[in-house]
Amino acid sequence: MSYTSASLLDLFKFRRKNTPIHKLDPRTKLYYAITISILSLIFSDIIPLGIIFLSIIPLFIIAKSFKFLLKTLQGLFFLVLIILIIDTLFISLSIAISMSLRLFCLISSFSLFFLTTHLDDFSQALIQMHFPYSFAFALSLSVRFIPTLGLETKMIMDAQMSRGLELQKGNLIKRIKKFIPIIIPMIVLSIRRALLIAESLEARGFGIEKKRTYLYQLKLTWKDYLITFILTIILSLSIYFVYFYGLPPILTTKLPI
Amino acid sequence: MIECYNIKYTYDGINYALDDICLKIDNAEFVGIIGENGAGKTTLAKCINGLLRPQYGKILIDGEDISKFSVAQIAKKIGFVFQNSDHQIFEQTVEDEIKFGLKNLKFSPEEIEERLENIIKKLDLEKYRNISPFELSGGERKRVALASILCLDPEILILDEPTLGQDMKQKEYLVKLIENLRKKGKTIIIITHDIEFAAEYIPRIIVMAKGKIIADGPREIITQNNFILEKSSVILPQLAQLTKILKSYNIFKSFNCNFADVHNYYYELKKYLKKK
Amino acid sequence: MINYTSNFKNINVNYKLKIKQDHCEFMVKIIKIENLNFAYSSNPENFVLKNINLEIDEGEFVILCGPTGCGKTTLIECINGLIPHFHSGVFVGNVIVAGKNTREYPVYEMSKHVGLVFQNPENQLISMNVEKELSFALENFGYNPIEIRKKVDEILKIMDIENIRYSAPYDLSGGQQQRVAIASILTLDPDIIILDEPTSNLDPMGAIKILELINQLNKEQGKTIILIEHRLEIVLKYSTRIIAMNNGQIILNDETKKAISNDILEDLGLRIPKIIKLYKLLKRDGFYIENIPLTIEDLAHEILKLAEYHD
Repeated sequence: MSYTSASLLDLFKFRRKNTPIHKLDPRTKLYYAITISILSLIFSDIIPLGIIFLSIIPLFIIAKSFKFLLKTLQGLFFLVLIILIIDTLFISLSIAISMSLRLFCLISSFSLFFLTTHLDDFSQALIQMHFPYSFAFALSLSVRFIPTLGLETKMIMDAQMSRGLELQKGNLIKRIKKFIPIIIPMIVLSIRRALLIAESLEARGFGIEKKRTYLYQLKLTWKDYLITFILTIILSLSIYFVYFYGLPPILTTKLPI
Repeated sequence: MIECYNIKYTYDGINYALDDICLKIDNAEFVGIIGENGAGKTTLAKCINGLLRPQYGKILIDGEDISKFSVAQIAKKIGFVFQNSDHQIFEQTVEDEIKFGLKNLKFSPEEIEERLENIIKKLDLEKYRNISPFELSGGERKRVALASILCLDPEILILDEPTLGQDMKQKEYLVKLIENLRKKGKTIIIITHDIEFAAEYIPRIIVMAKGKIIADGPREIITQNNFILEKSSVILPQLAQLTKILKSYNIFKSFNCNFADVHNYYYELKKYLKKK
Repeated sequence: MINYTSNFKNINVNYKLKIKQDHCEFMVKIIKIENLNFAYSSNPENFVLKNINLEIDEGEFVILCGPTGCGKTTLIECINGLIPHFHSGVFVGNVIVAGKNTREYPVYEMSKHVGLVFQNPENQLISMNVEKELSFALENFGYNPIEIRKKVDEILKIMDIENIRYSAPYDLSGGQQQRVAIASILTLDPDIIILDEPTSNLDPMGAIKILELINQLNKEQGKTIILIEHRLEIVLKYSTRIIAMNNGQIILNDETKKAISNDILEDLGLRIPKIIKLYKLLKRDGFYIENIPLTIEDLAHEILKLAEYHD
């Protein structure tokens, strides 16, 4: 796996830490990510987008995950470079910078959500937001088996390599064909596993009770309500200013190029 | 010949799955590696066939340092039959499955056909030739996996838990197969938990615990030694346990029997009882 | 007799009444199988179970053995209702467990009486941590969270896995995974526990520990155990009965001591413990052995007696 892709996946993986942001309800954090995303799409000027981006940084620091923010920037480096070059050549430098900032805001806001939210809490949040239980369950089941699948893929690769399969050699088409001996056992084993899991679920009463109960329930605290309130105010004011009143000229300064 | 000099391997950079392993296995030897889960047995085997590259130490196969060869190149000399045959079966017919390894190792089409016929006959797979291996039972799939490695005719064969889930008939079949291979001068390495099988059939036993080799010797001695086996959470074979209990009584003080198979043991026991 | 009331104190009245009703229908044999024949719908001509007739008492420890493909797994799935409800096919005969006919009750009803632990624990542990795994079944049944909390704490203690309460399943050793799998079905408090080769992924020490645990569940908690197991030498001393199958039929069904000396087991190609083989050889050659030895200590004891006799 290339360095870039490894770091990109990393910043969406939950790390258990004891920070105020980790303790917030996942719904609040999701609302935050969505709000920031909408804001970064509403504004197209450098200064407002810059302000939004700068506002995300302290949150990462509070969540003790600043290094992951840096990794985001690192991971997006090439993409941003391409955007900067193309947009500057064809449109303007201002637009180029705005687009880049927008990208950063979108990705880092969701990254913050995923870094600070455990999958189970996310799953529970979905359930309490009245998503169907089977949907949330399918999600957590898939994620739970990712390490297992990863290990199994490794074992399959070991077995096939020991029969002379060379995955690194050959042109692109040949290399893709070489993955067939890896993919097929994976699929077969996954299907077999799925059947076994289904039997085990059936034997433990999965799906019977319409009123399923939950050992842990998420509860919203005053902090959650406060943050949601503040975010809503910011969002409403932004929409008003951008679409109805008009932004003060200083905020819409553009670069000469 | 396999030579390992001061092998150290770590998966996570902190704990050593293999800690300073030194080992020599001559041609045509039949060796068993036993030990608790996590002792490093499979890790060692994977280092020998190149799947894992030790951070320290050297491994020589027939005098050559294998670190400069790829796994595919090493596969010409070392055949590794994994525990779960489902990790390798993917072709649409048994024939194709067996041909896979042969094609990878770049045998000529004539050779491929010849070896295919040979191994199908040898392992009695004629009736399954054109059947999808996925339709076969667990035991039959294991045989197909074994065939696909044996047809490559490697000098050294590593088997990981070959007796798992096998009944007596299948085990006897395996033993006969191994005997045939040994007659041809092949080196056989078996990783197993099955102490009864090891005690009965495998002449040299290596015991591993926590990444180290804690014992290496003939089965008659190793499989009777509770002190060593305990250190790797391996239990004594049943007959060895019996001998141990009997010897604690005066009458059987001089009863020394290290046979692991019932008939020979019984013979000795009868002789001893008759003497008394 | 089964004590129903102790674990169901806090549930609603209607549920309690239903339990009492079932209690009245309860028969002496906890499992009764009459003329069971079964063929999977994918191959309806091929009966994988033929003329199975079987009765098991409450509190028994049954070893179910037979060559691969003999129908053991199919049979146990008939006992907990996965057959005929989950796997369809041609189902002839009756399977009555704890007074309930499996045809008439869905799988989840049967799982209150029969807990089934499959071979590879990795495929049964579906939650992100052990605690959630244990609460899963209870959540499905709609128990209130306070009850669930109590039950989970209780089972964690009984199974001695309190220290891994928050561990993820893939971080556990094989033995721990197996324990958690067993614990997760214990939460429903079934009277019968069926285990399909629970030691296949474990090393010998791990196997002994799990089998000891299963024995405890039988002797101390009164659970009826049906165990599919190859390592007979360990479980022989715990079992009350051995049932052997071949080709979909039961060919041996007898109490342990009688069954184990039956040559049929060896003919089937099963792994007979060496102590039994030795005992049979001694008997064949005329040595007198009073009790059939089920453990190595027993056999040593008998051999010592022989030696003293000859002295």
